[in-house]
Amino acid sequence: MLRLIVLRLLAALPVLLVVSLVAFGLTLLVPGDIAAEMLGPSARPGDMERLRRELGLDLPPLERMAQWYGGLLHGNLGRSVLLNQSVTSAILERLPVTLSLTGLGLGLAGTIGIPLGLLAAAKARRWPDQAAMGTALIGLSLPDFWLGLVLIWVLGVKLGWLPTGGYIFMSTDPLGWLRAMIMPAGALALTQLGPVARMTRSAALEVVELDFVRTARAKGLTETRVFTRHVLGAALVPILTVLGIGFGVALGGALVIEQVFSLPGVGRLVIGAVLRRDWPVIQGGLLLTATVFVLVNLLVDLLYLWADPRLREQA
Amino acid sequence: MIRRRSFNAGLLASAALPLPAIAQSTGPGRKGGDVIIAQQAQPPTLDAQATTAQASRNITLHVYESLFTRDEGANPKPELAEGVDISADGLTYTFKLRTGVKFHNGKLMTSADAKASMQRYAKLGGSADSLKPVAAMETPDAKTLVLKLSSVFPGLIEAISSPRAPFVIMPEEETGKPVGQPQMVGTGPFKFVEYRPDSHVKLTRFDDYIANTNFQQRDGFTGKKTAYFDSVTFRFMPEGGARTAGLQTGELHVLESMDNAAAKRLKDDKNIRAYTMMPWAFMTLMLNNNFGLTANVELRRAIQAAADLEEIMAIATDGLYRMQPAWQYPGTGYYPGAEGLAAYTKQDQAKAKDFLKKANYNGEELQIIADNSFKPHLDAATVLSEQLRAIGMKVKLSVMDWPTVMASRSKPEGWNVWPLMMGIEPYEGPYNVVGFFGGRQTVQIKQDPVIEECIQELATKLKLEDRQAAVKKFQNRIYEQAIALKVGDVGIIQATRANVMNYAPYRIPRMWDCWFA
Repeated sequence: MLRLIVLRLLAALPVLLVVSLVAFGLTLLVPGDIAAEMLGPSARPGDMERLRRELGLDLPPLERMAQWYGGLLHGNLGRSVLLNQSVTSAILERLPVTLSLTGLGLGLAGTIGIPLGLLAAAKARRWPDQAAMGTALIGLSLPDFWLGLVLIWVLGVKLGWLPTGGYIFMSTDPLGWLRAMIMPAGALALTQLGPVARMTRSAALEVVELDFVRTARAKGLTETRVFTRHVLGAALVPILTVLGIGFGVALGGALVIEQVFSLPGVGRLVIGAVLRRDWPVIQGGLLLTATVFVLVNLLVDLLYLWADPRLREQA
Repeated sequence: MIRRRSFNAGLLASAALPLPAIAQSTGPGRKGGDVIIAQQAQPPTLDAQATTAQASRNITLHVYESLFTRDEGANPKPELAEGVDISADGLTYTFKLRTGVKFHNGKLMTSADAKASMQRYAKLGGSADSLKPVAAMETPDAKTLVLKLSSVFPGLIEAISSPRAPFVIMPEEETGKPVGQPQMVGTGPFKFVEYRPDSHVKLTRFDDYIANTNFQQRDGFTGKKTAYFDSVTFRFMPEGGARTAGLQTGELHVLESMDNAAAKRLKDDKNIRAYTMMPWAFMTLMLNNNFGLTANVELRRAIQAAADLEEIMAIATDGLYRMQPAWQYPGTGYYPGAEGLAAYTKQDQAKAKDFLKKANYNGEELQIIADNSFKPHLDAATVLSEQLRAIGMKVKLSVMDWPTVMASRSKPEGWNVWPLMMGIEPYEGPYNVVGFFGGRQTVQIKQDPVIEECIQELATKLKLEDRQAAVKKFQNRIYEQAIALKVGDVGIIQATRANVMNYAPYRIPRMWDCWFA
């Protein structure tokens, strides 16, 4: 298994190199820079040139590229002038927000979606199946920003149960943190519920007629036991695949959710950087996102081995 | 010989922007509480000197102060200076500083700090070009700063008092630091506590603040300021709906701006007070006088005649506008009047088609660029596109994000029309409005000799009447040559919870001299 992990990590290096090249290429192709953001539309040319010089934006592309890769080899992603901090610390500061939002959202989606899918499979083509799949479909069809705003209006403004936005650090107030995260994580979960429930249902239906399930029933196990112990176990690989893909999608969804709920996560950091052309942050954010994707895929592959003994033997 | 002059007589025009309604004052203020303000954007930097961004100004002008700044009517007024003596030849400016003013680090402010701050500004400030005429800075004693100019520049006090990229005074030891690096130490009524990017900035009351007793009360950015709130938190919330919801629930106390639709919806909510500021900005349509169709003055006149300006304003501002054609605000010192402008501002499609014929228009495509970051820009571009199609023009509207538009519009080719709201420039007076249309990177791309003359006259004429005449000449030229279109004046709505007392809307949401009920 260790060999597998090492091989997968080595295989990720070219991917990260390509991502870093694309990230740097974007800085050359996309117009605009932070000097224009800082000085506004009516800045005088002399003032603009002076600021560009001060910020080192007038350096030739090759020199900037050499500087950036040189820093990268030393584990330094550069410095953001706009944030007045290093890109690494800016990302690390926000990573817990995004990971906890994505983790909570995906956890909720799994906790509700898997039982919903199993219920739909157990009652296939009957009303509970249609009700469960209809519910899942609604969540899948609603845009996350709209869902977020509706939740704010209902749970925040009308009922006053939860704060309308903002972030509270878990270290300062764990309960406040949970209250602040329920709505955003719920909005994210609703959009992920559909794929998880639908994949669980179809994977369960594929195995529900197989011999080992019939044997389990013949042993006199209850339907609940049959589904949670035997059907779910056999259907776990495709569900894990969907959760793995869902993590990536949820990471993308977190960009929008963080904007709507004013959460200081990586998504908001990167969106802000794109809108203001804060290139070191964009480059660092892209590299980090690619790294997280690679690691999540590796984790899913390892979970396959745990879930399916046949794959374990092949490995 | 140095002759004392009043700082706002002779060299300066006395501006008088309409004063906004001030919220009810219910006796003496009460100290305490953390007031939470929501603003859409987070500051690109908290280095006040280096940025013109409104998002930065909202925060930094609670912490920093300048030698001169603007009063409630946008007139230059002293803040950290007692006043200024200007020599008869207009080449020497002697600033006497207020005594006993302390920085947040406890140090007394002296002329050495003022000089070092101005020198830093000349090196990296957002409007550093304004200090080009300054040949030398001297500090004969601890409370005197002398600026010696190499050529006259009657706009100097207007320039250094502008909040656009404010000429703030910081301790000398901070002035050697590059952009974005100085510790945020000022002399203002609130001091800096923390900045969490994408989340908030927190300030706390500076209890050793020395109020300016030359004034009776708050006055624009200056005046006798008193901080009542224990702390001020600026939260950055990009989503407008979430900001309004936060104000409704009481999680937020002040909104930097609220859209007109939300203000109408909440007009009966007794917990919320909305304050309209009119004017806030010019809505303009910039035309590229250098490229393609709009290089032809007859075609620019066709656009001028085809545009229904009021329709553009009504849609782009959700009804928060006034039709005002002048390139300065009425009531201000350089207001050039609006006589004779009706001929240019009235929509006349038949006349527009005649101009198209004179321009030999043959179905070529007009390129309009607009950003989707500011809704009024995109709405104005969309409405204008339809109005031009109505006279038979072929129009392409390209929508981009703000930095891309900014980069595109500075190119000499590739665009014809660009909608832009000018916020701080008309508030400052004529220099940055007229200046926007001149110089080697003029907004209309091709320099106009008459406008260049106007800029020169504004920069060098010592008599106010001569400078006022230059602004009038500039305005006439803009209309006659259809160099750009002034569409109208845009307003803004600031909003507070009803328990925020004595609030008065202004260019920033000022958190001094207001308190919780």
